[in-house]
Amino acid sequence: MTMTVPSVLKFTNITRSFGSVSAVKGITLEVKRGEVVGLVGENGAGKSTLLKILAGVVQPDEGQTEINGVPMVFRSPNDSVRAGIGVVHQEQSLFTNLTVAENLDQRNSGRIGYKNWARVNSDGAAALKKIGINLDPTSRISDLSFVDRQMVEIARAVSIDPNMTSTPLIILDEPTAVLEQNETAVLEHEIKKLKEFASVIFVSHRLDEIMRICDRVVVMRSGKIVSDKKTSEVTKQDLFRAMAGGVSQTAHVERNRLPEGAKPAVEVKGLSRKGKFKDISFTARPGEIIALVGSNASGREAVARAVFGAEAYDSGIISVKGNTVSHWSIRKAVKAGLAYIPSERKVEGMIAGLSATRNVALVYQGDGAKGPFLRLRRLAQAAQSWFDRLDVRPNRIGLPMMQFSGGNQQKIVLAKWLNSPHINVLLLDHPLRGLDVGAAQTVDAQITKACENGAAVILIPDTIEEALEMADEIIVMRDGEVSARHDLRTKHTLTVQDIVAEMV
Amino acid sequence: MRLILPNDWKGPASLIASMVVLLIVFAFLNPRFASIENFRNILFQVAVPLIIIVGTTLVIQLGSIDLSVQGIMGAAGMAWILLSANTRNETDLGVLAWVIALGIGMGLGLLAGAIHALIKVPSFVVTLGTWYIGLGIGILLYGDEMLPSLKSDVLTAWPTKLTLGLPNAFWLAAVIVAGGVLLSRYTHFGRGVLAVGNNETIARNTGMPVNSIKIIAFTVAGFLSALAGILAIMQLGAGSPDMGTGQLFTVIPAAVIGGTALSGGEGGIMRSTLGVFLLIMLNNGLVLAGVNPNFQAGVFGAILIAAIVAVARPDRGRLKIAK
Repeated sequence: MTMTVPSVLKFTNITRSFGSVSAVKGITLEVKRGEVVGLVGENGAGKSTLLKILAGVVQPDEGQTEINGVPMVFRSPNDSVRAGIGVVHQEQSLFTNLTVAENLDQRNSGRIGYKNWARVNSDGAAALKKIGINLDPTSRISDLSFVDRQMVEIARAVSIDPNMTSTPLIILDEPTAVLEQNETAVLEHEIKKLKEFASVIFVSHRLDEIMRICDRVVVMRSGKIVSDKKTSEVTKQDLFRAMAGGVSQTAHVERNRLPEGAKPAVEVKGLSRKGKFKDISFTARPGEIIALVGSNASGREAVARAVFGAEAYDSGIISVKGNTVSHWSIRKAVKAGLAYIPSERKVEGMIAGLSATRNVALVYQGDGAKGPFLRLRRLAQAAQSWFDRLDVRPNRIGLPMMQFSGGNQQKIVLAKWLNSPHINVLLLDHPLRGLDVGAAQTVDAQITKACENGAAVILIPDTIEEALEMADEIIVMRDGEVSARHDLRTKHTLTVQDIVAEMV
Repeated sequence: MRLILPNDWKGPASLIASMVVLLIVFAFLNPRFASIENFRNILFQVAVPLIIIVGTTLVIQLGSIDLSVQGIMGAAGMAWILLSANTRNETDLGVLAWVIALGIGMGLGLLAGAIHALIKVPSFVVTLGTWYIGLGIGILLYGDEMLPSLKSDVLTAWPTKLTLGLPNAFWLAAVIVAGGVLLSRYTHFGRGVLAVGNNETIARNTGMPVNSIKIIAFTVAGFLSALAGILAIMQLGAGSPDMGTGQLFTVIPAAVIGGTALSGGEGGIMRSTLGVFLLIMLNNGLVLAGVNPNFQAGVFGAILIAAIVAVARPDRGRLKIAK
């Protein structure tokens, strides 16, 4: 008799619709023990829905689920957790007011009984040690950096009882989207360790990572699986073609330069804030892209936010179009033609419950408003024209913001600012975070276009490559200070390694 | 003691500092304020709001609110006095009177919690409803007859009687507060309350029993309001349906002054109790300072706003939004 090892997960013909829109159709997918399966697809391809079904948050309309050979129906997240499925969400799902150890202990909190702090803390320490990160289990999540929080998320997904008879299935939903390069390397190493006792579904937009880490790659498009092959049997180009449905990746967009010597759109001199950044100076002229590069602790985000009036600064000067500002605030910044795309899109960039139309009209209504009254048809027309230009999917301007996928939300957030004809300065904080290749291209193209139309861009990129491709000038920051400056118009030989050396 | 003292002294320190300032100012205005006798008086007065605020804090930590305090005090208090030896009827159920009165409080809390959690009605509206249901029960029990008074001298004397130099009413409250702190810090329920208050979606998605946590919190709050109602009657010696009047105005600001954000997830019972002390001291001090009784309510309100602004100010981030 031959032993057949049942798959950890077996989906047969899983289908789920929301209203008339079907999010996933006839998905059949198997994950074997110790296997790392890559899941790729553009935003809106149905990955998120598939993951939600696995997590028990959403129930399929049709189809069968088998876990370790046993048919199961997940009615709630609890069922999924009990079946040994751990999810590291794209958006962080930690209780920021509790400690690391308490967050790692969530799986046991289905009880009302006594809480043994000594055990909670020692279990937490053990879970952290297992994935090899050095954190105090008693520290409060709100005191941790974004990266450390991500590590806690992973520790939690991994901390499903290791003595369980079945193999846990760990789903990593774009864990690298917010990580810096060196941290991504650590994560890749962790995933290889996970294989020893768990199966992994790894979702990422970075095909290089997928090719390095995964045993198998599954590609989704329009709610269906369009390719499911061993990593050794596919190339990056194959995957890209499967994702995009035939179109191949284009090179970086060249843009028309404006004549040099224009009056600076924004000028920053000796900007300092105690404990955050010190003596920061730069000038951004119309048509220029300045990239602020550095690790998460470098203070580059705080600088961008200070320029936008969203955070205070202690000393230094900010001038907009030659006028030095005082009592700077977001309201004044917006009036002066500054625009800011925040990295925390869901929290700061959009109003989730309002329709896309209203979100587009948040900053500027144009002829969509007359006195105190809104002209709803005009607003809808403006939104519709942005939807068509940016290829937002689904193409329904009346849907609430929260019902769009991340990439499409970002397009709408961008449209909100670009809708105003007075934009002089674009402050972009991780504008491509969590975006698929298609959405990233659309956003890049719009940034380029705004630039050609005379806006100055201050970019905080996700990757150094992004800075090298887009920027005219790179300002490298380390521990709140400028550690190097490069004018890419005169220097073309700069490499990623050069810049990394200046960052650490 | 270490078990129930705050982990973080930053918030409590500013509260204690403002209490010391109040003490010095009021002692200067009227030396009698700083007498042992007046301290005992303050401890006697804080007992009822201290008991209530344990429940109030749990509910606010959830991100909900419980407005039913005064109604439940009226319903449970009236039920208790009419079932104990009193001047109006011959009934004396003894211990059973306690069980029934506390049961009424728990029942109203359970009702509010269940409607809020299961039917997803905002707690503000639900507890506004149970407030008036409680008040209605109290009025119904009160009827058209005379005010019932307690017959037992032992019961009426108990709250003021001193044990180890402090009034019994305060000891009862101290036990409840200590129990509340232990519940909050050392049970899965207590931490679950903070988790739900921080982010209910995550709590649900990690499989926490969110509905049970909410219902238990409201039931505990109802129980404690009922207990506070009984203690208030023992302190007064007589019962009326509206004897809880003014308590809500003490406990909610006290929790906020103590650093319990109305949006949930923050603060703690110990810090709320400091808020109660601050407000009761303020009230007591204004009386002793001889502020014209007609001005007292207005002055109290103005100082209350000043206190909240002063205490909450350092925590307020630039982009944080108050609602």
